Amino acid sequence: MVEHRTQIKIVGEILDTATHEIDEYEGTTITHIIRNANISHGRLSRILNNLVSQGLLEQVNSKKSYRYKISPSGREFLAAYKTFREFSDDFGLTI
Amino acid sequence: MGVVIGIISYIGFKNTGSPTLFRLSIAFFAIGIGFGILATGFVLDDFIFKTGDINRGITTLGVASQVIGYWFIAFSHTIRTFFPKSRYFRSIGAIPLFLVSFNYIENILRAISFILLVYGAIETMISYIQGRKKTTLFVAIGLGLLGFGEFIGWYSFVFPETVLYASSIIIKIGGLIAVGIPVLKIPLRKISFDENL
Repeated sequence: MVEHRTQIKIVGEILDTATHEIDEYEGTTITHIIRNANISHGRLSRILNNLVSQGLLEQVNSKKSYRYKISPSGREFLAAYKTFREFSDDFGLTI
Repeated sequence: MGVVIGIISYIGFKNTGSPTLFRLSIAFFAIGIGFGILATGFVLDDFIFKTGDINRGITTLGVASQVIGYWFIAFSHTIRTFFPKSRYFRSIGAIPLFLVSFNYIENILRAISFILLVYGAIETMISYIQGRKKTTLFVAIGLGLLGFGEFIGWYSFVFPETVLYASSIIIKIGGLIAVGIPVLKIPLRKISFDENL
């Protein structure tokens, strides 16, 4: 059965992906996030803009394209998300 | 214990904005308040009214509060199982299926509680079978014990003056403790409200 992901779960996966450093440059590429979080480019762009405006992600300018890295408040949010994802799982529910 | 789980769930909701945690916080606040009302009823009767029997109005109020809590737990499972993509049903629209055939409000509420708890216990057990997390098993057992306690409590109306009512309360307390086991895993030091998130 295909699992339906909630918005909060998708945000959690995006932030988790943004913690990865994929090469020598700072931050993660959009392509890497699309692959890891399994999300369309259009939807991802909207969520990324939202996360940057909320201060959970930081946009980093590199030579070729925009890259994204997780901010300190993003890390706090991700830690809280992981803790409460476990908590919801314990009750047999999806966060 | 119910209020503690409610507080943890509410902190989770404030930190993540998850509707699931919001529903859990309402559920456990209502369950905790329900138990609190029943306990207050016993205390009032022991020290003030001294009738030897808790006031029926207070009992009904306490049981009603618990039913609200059990309903929200069952509702969360209903959303997950039957309406994973429906925005309408994810908000307020779904009502778990139940059948009642009793005459008095308290009995009706206890019957609803029992059915909701059995439903919640079965759904949680299914989640345990899928994920094999021990804490999920404790929650399923806890909900099952709460349901069994509710059933025994209803039976005490049929056989009053027996140990059934006291047994029901002990079983329900055991159930609530089992349901509260996931709280022990929460690292409270690291959780804080952040209004900017």
